[in-house]
Amino acid sequence: MNAPGIIRELSLFRLKRSIILGVKSLWMHKLRSLLTAMGIVFGVCSVIAMLAIGEGASYEAQQQIKDLGSQNIILESVKPTNKTTAGEQERSLILEYGLTYNDISQIRATVPGVLVTIPSREVKDFIWNEAQNIDGAAVGTVSWFPEMRNRRVIRGRFFTELEMSMRSPVCVLSKSLARQLFPLSEPIGDTVRIQTSYFRVIGVIEDDPAVAAANDQSEGTGEKGDGMEMMIPLTTLEDHFGEVLFKYRSGSFEAEKVQLHDVTIRIDEPDRVMPASLAIRHLLERNHKQVDYRMTVPLDLLRRAERTKQIFNIVLGSIAAISLLVGGIGIMNIMLATVTERTREIGIRRALGAKKKDIVIQFLIETVMLSGAGGVIGVALGLAIPLMITHFAEMVTIIEFWAPALAFTISVLIGVLFGIYPAFRAAGMNPVEALRHE
Amino acid sequence: MAPESLPEPVIELRGVEKHYQMGDTLVKALHGVDLKILPGDYISILGPSGCGKSTMLNILGCLDQPTVGQYFLSGQDVSKLSDDDLSQVRGKRLGFIFQSYNLIQQLTVVENIEVPLYYQGVPEKESREIAVGLARKVGLGSRLDHRPTELSGGQQQRVAIARALANDPAVILADEATGNLDSKSGGDILEIFDELNADGKTLILITHDEGMAMRTSRTIRLKDGEIAYDSYTERQRT
Repeated sequence: MNAPGIIRELSLFRLKRSIILGVKSLWMHKLRSLLTAMGIVFGVCSVIAMLAIGEGASYEAQQQIKDLGSQNIILESVKPTNKTTAGEQERSLILEYGLTYNDISQIRATVPGVLVTIPSREVKDFIWNEAQNIDGAAVGTVSWFPEMRNRRVIRGRFFTELEMSMRSPVCVLSKSLARQLFPLSEPIGDTVRIQTSYFRVIGVIEDDPAVAAANDQSEGTGEKGDGMEMMIPLTTLEDHFGEVLFKYRSGSFEAEKVQLHDVTIRIDEPDRVMPASLAIRHLLERNHKQVDYRMTVPLDLLRRAERTKQIFNIVLGSIAAISLLVGGIGIMNIMLATVTERTREIGIRRALGAKKKDIVIQFLIETVMLSGAGGVIGVALGLAIPLMITHFAEMVTIIEFWAPALAFTISVLIGVLFGIYPAFRAAGMNPVEALRHE
Repeated sequence: MAPESLPEPVIELRGVEKHYQMGDTLVKALHGVDLKILPGDYISILGPSGCGKSTMLNILGCLDQPTVGQYFLSGQDVSKLSDDDLSQVRGKRLGFIFQSYNLIQQLTVVENIEVPLYYQGVPEKESREIAVGLARKVGLGSRLDHRPTELSGGQQQRVAIARALANDPAVILADEATGNLDSKSGGDILEIFDELNADGKTLILITHDEGMAMRTSRTIRLKDGEIAYDSYTERQRT
């Protein structure tokens, strides 16, 4: 009689009956049950949907940063805005600023962990294919540029070290430039012109991911020169365009002397990226009187993005917790009303042999079913909303496999937590008074 | 007849008192009730309102416990049992029939009859068989899946009787069982009671209806928390 097997069988049988009974009781008040579960539905649904959107957004941000290379430090020359030196510059006519070859050799010599440097220099001007022209830029760089900057060569090939030392007039077009300049014909093998120099096209490379993302958002307006670049050997660029860059733009004239526009420094170990960035910053501060450069450390950005995500998750978690708390209180409120309403039933059951424990289980199961059903509906909606957002707003959303499971578990736990008090209140009633209750 | 040859009483109250605290005053609803009920007895308990009838019912029904005194049900002292054990006793040895039927609205006829069996842990199939058998016995074989709201008062009370019989209890307690019924259906219910007693069931009817008391074999009158008249002892005296 006391064999554990029998007891287990018995309790399983009781559980099944209690669940059937719970369904019947909840079904008697369909609208009320539905409205009560709503609180949990929205709580669970918002948790999953917001997690999916948040994960998607941070994934996109992290992907963009990773595309820059997490072991890279990116230096760019920036035209100084310092007003105190404006007088001198007016006199000299040629604006001289930016990173120099000297900076690079010092960085290579003194900063530990520098694997390679990828200097580049650009000449902004119209790029011509016969009569067609695009406002773009010729970027002089080195042969290991695609590998180090995570840019894929789509067609053809990139130029080689040999071509660098030969100062060959070859170029690799960015994808969007190739599309604009050669809308109908094959660019590889053809020539393009910039100012008075001609270059043979040997390949097509992916657009800069940052520029590509910006172009995607403002579709069609990619003709501002962003991303319209052709890569040529740095040595070739020096030969053809000299040290001073002249720009004629709608009547105005500008002369700049910039040795390097852009330097990417690859560090050998991720752990050494931050110390190296500090060392480079100090070195540049010593070499440059004015801030005519900008330093970007993707790893630092990545860490900041992760921290932002953490804060986002905390905020999200609090909102979710509050909405689930509100849902739980709603359930508790209704269950208390239900217990009062069903006082007579409780009395009858007690008279017919129900123990306090039986009453507790009955009401607890009802509450858990209510919140569990809310959880299931909430999970379904929470899975549907990100899909709809991805479909209509074309935003990346990521549903982590654990998110629906977690949300559902929490909804069940809320049922237990907020069901305990009403259930014990029901069980604690005096059977005599409960039977007399109208 | 020598007292030793009497069957073991199914119910025995010894000096039962029940006190209630009502504000500042102590109300004694029952004082010093001694009572023996034998198996197969058909008893009516009568009395004006406020005489302690309900208290008596609650104590006999193990819904409440005496403040002073002892209550033996089938030889077991139940006056000091824990709440869980009392529930067990109610479910196993007692059957209740109430004035307002007290069926559970969300359950069908069969399911209502099954409630006491459920709390005794009777397996589903067996419990269903018992319930269907009892429903047929009280003449509701064709309404097994009806809800209480779809039944007349007389039919509801018959479901309640079937439910009270489900656990084959030692004693059936009926509290004003015909109070809410018209005389026709009330009469039907009383006929069922007669039949049950003829089958050997112990029935205790709590009522203020003299006509109902006439049908029973033993009448007990309560007055001010005491037994004022017991037809059994009167008969013994004469």
